[in-house]
Amino acid sequence: MIWLIKVAMRAMMPRTAALPGIEDTDLDGFLRRMKRDADFLYWLGLVAGGVVFAISPILTVFVPLPAFLLPRGLLAKHAERVVSHPIYVVRQAAFLVRLSAGMCWGADPKVRARFALAPYAGDPGTFRSS
Amino acid sequence: MSHVAFQPRGPRVEIEADFVVVGSGAGGATAAVTLARTGARVAVVESGAWRDPADYPASVYGAMRDMLDAWGSNFTRGRAYWPIVQGNLVGGSTVINSAIAVRTPRDVFERWQREVGVGGDLAPAVWEAQDDIERELCVEEVPPASRGRSNLLAKKGADTLGYEGHFMRRYIRDCRGDGQCLQGCREDRKQSLNRNYMPEVLARGGDVLSCAPASKISFNKQRAVGVVGRFRHPQTKERGAEFQVRARKGVLVAASVTRSPLLLAASGLKNPMLGKGFRAHPGTPVFGVYDDPVDMNTGATQGWASIAHREDPGFKLETLSLPLDMLAGRLSGAGTALMERIGEFRHIAMWVHACRAETVGEVRSTLTGQPAVHYTLDRADMLRFRAAVYLLARTHVAAGARAILPAIHGMPYRLMPDEIDQLKEAPLDPRAYVAILSHLFGGCVMGRDPAMSVCDGRGRVHGRDGLVIVDASAIPSNLGVNPQHTIMALARIWANDLAAA
Ligand SMILES: Cc1cc2nc3c(=O)[nH]c(=O)nc-3n(C[C@H](O)[C@H](O)[C@H](O)COP(=O)(O)OP(=O)(O)OC[C@H]3O[C@@H](n4cnc5c(N)ncnc54)[C@H](O)[C@@H]3O)c2cc1C
Ligand code: SF4
Repeated sequence: MIWLIKVAMRAMMPRTAALPGIEDTDLDGFLRRMKRDADFLYWLGLVAGGVVFAISPILTVFVPLPAFLLPRGLLAKHAERVVSHPIYVVRQAAFLVRLSAGMCWGADPKVRARFALAPYAGDPGTFRSS
Repeated sequence: MSHVAFQPRGPRVEIEADFVVVGSGAGGATAAVTLARTGARVAVVESGAWRDPADYPASVYGAMRDMLDAWGSNFTRGRAYWPIVQGNLVGGSTVINSAIAVRTPRDVFERWQREVGVGGDLAPAVWEAQDDIERELCVEEVPPASRGRSNLLAKKGADTLGYEGHFMRRYIRDCRGDGQCLQGCREDRKQSLNRNYMPEVLARGGDVLSCAPASKISFNKQRAVGVVGRFRHPQTKERGAEFQVRARKGVLVAASVTRSPLLLAASGLKNPMLGKGFRAHPGTPVFGVYDDPVDMNTGATQGWASIAHREDPGFKLETLSLPLDMLAGRLSGAGTALMERIGEFRHIAMWVHACRAETVGEVRSTLTGQPAVHYTLDRADMLRFRAAVYLLARTHVAAGARAILPAIHGMPYRLMPDEIDQLKEAPLDPRAYVAILSHLFGGCVMGRDPAMSVCDGRGRVHGRDGLVIVDASAIPSNLGVNPQHTIMALARIWANDLAAA
């Protein structure tokens, strides 16, 4: 399922002339961590988002192919349309994918440097144990 | 004194105290320290972990993992699915909030008296408690050096339009203005209650059980005599040892608006009002794009506010800085268009409203025992909501924004200053907006009539002895201002009442 989410995230946050894309960040590591850490409902929503993204080109670019088989240009168009789709549940499913992609992308030190932001200090995950 | 964190499966952890408090957020921590100061032996049971500033995450991902209840995946069940954000750690939502301190307006007490028959007499005691709390938690106005450009622009915009706006007063000592309040203040400036009241409870001989969700309140006939539960590891979610806290004098419930009603129901209370009377201040952002960099993450996370429209039409305006790793979730679009939009990050200021919504919802339990909040804003509230969006846009324009990004489905992504009147006709369908609920009320509301409320005007649960609600769930109306100060003052008064009883 992770690869489906990755297809959607890459299409939503591609590399541009001005900015690194999500493919330039540690997306695999991020999704592995998220699968391990996330609340079940959150992860389920994200997987659903990946699935909706994959099967909805018929609703957006009117092509009966899953998103991962679309040519580049059409995939980009699909990504743009799916996040603003008139059917609420479709765009909400895509919203969670975009939100999560943004968390990965915006925490990357290369990306932060482009915006004159210091790298994040890390998420220790520690707590008082006694 | 002791702090007991996660305990693996093994012998049951047993503790005896005068009072046990469930939840250590704004209400629970305040009640606990108040009781501890009377010399009582207090135990606090908190479902989240105890994290200090060195433990705080830096990223939004880390904050969701380590600090938010259910990863922030609670959402409204209704026409729109709006996230409900609450803290799940020692200190509760005070660790992740912006520490804005606003006194309870007089009309709130009058309204409680009029609508639920109690609370009218609380004003002097609440304000006195708020005096004390402000001293204890160092409430001060955002210092000039930490105001940051977004807050200054908001002030300029409101001044230009001629409505009231002010730099906020917050429970923060010497804010450094690094705009990270929502991930916990790693600089240890914010006075979240894990940093003061909870350590004081320990220092006064109390016990704190963290990673310890209470599953039931125990009763002896009608009298609440303790709580039971099982430790849960904050990372692995592994279930650990059982715990039991016996309370000689009383049980105080402060597990939050979404969780207190469920805990009472799971403990056998049959009151049909449990979960009813849910209210909130839903809010949504409006972005302004400015010629010069705004760098909204420099300066206080939330530094400016206006309550000029609290009564009519009913909303509060605030600045709020957004971390870069949240931005993609808030701007619309995808693909290269989204990346171009994000490219403007340094030039964007985000301001939000908190709608004083009158819509009433309900907290119910899912099959797995999690809270499900049923809530859809009605038309009157959506009109308020839209009016707030429009005013935020006008304020940006008055402050010199070159464009407005309204983030509304069905509207253009970018409006030029001479186009913002289109917002007067913005959709009234809640599904067109991505709003967030962080100010919550009700679920165990107070009132005179036991058929219409869960507790009385002193938080005492109807029909039970020694069981008191001390969190936002007892509040029977919206407030129109940030709730933490009111919650803490009520908790202090009701805990003192209980100690004196
Ligand atoms: C992001 C954000 C920003 C905010 N900003 C402000 C602000 O600046 N000013 C302001 O006035 N208000 C603000 N608020 C609102 C304010 O923080 C809350 O209204 C307030 O903290 C609610 O207090 P409470 O005691 O009802 O619940 P909480 O503070 O949420 O505490 C409830 C506690 O109970 C624990 N708990 C839940 N279930 C159990 C169980 N079964 N057993 C044991 N423990 C349990 C939870 O883990 C939590 O620690 C903000 C809220 C959020 C989320
Ligand atoms: S703005 Fe920064 S320094 Fe100030 S309280 Fe928030 S996190 Fe701490």
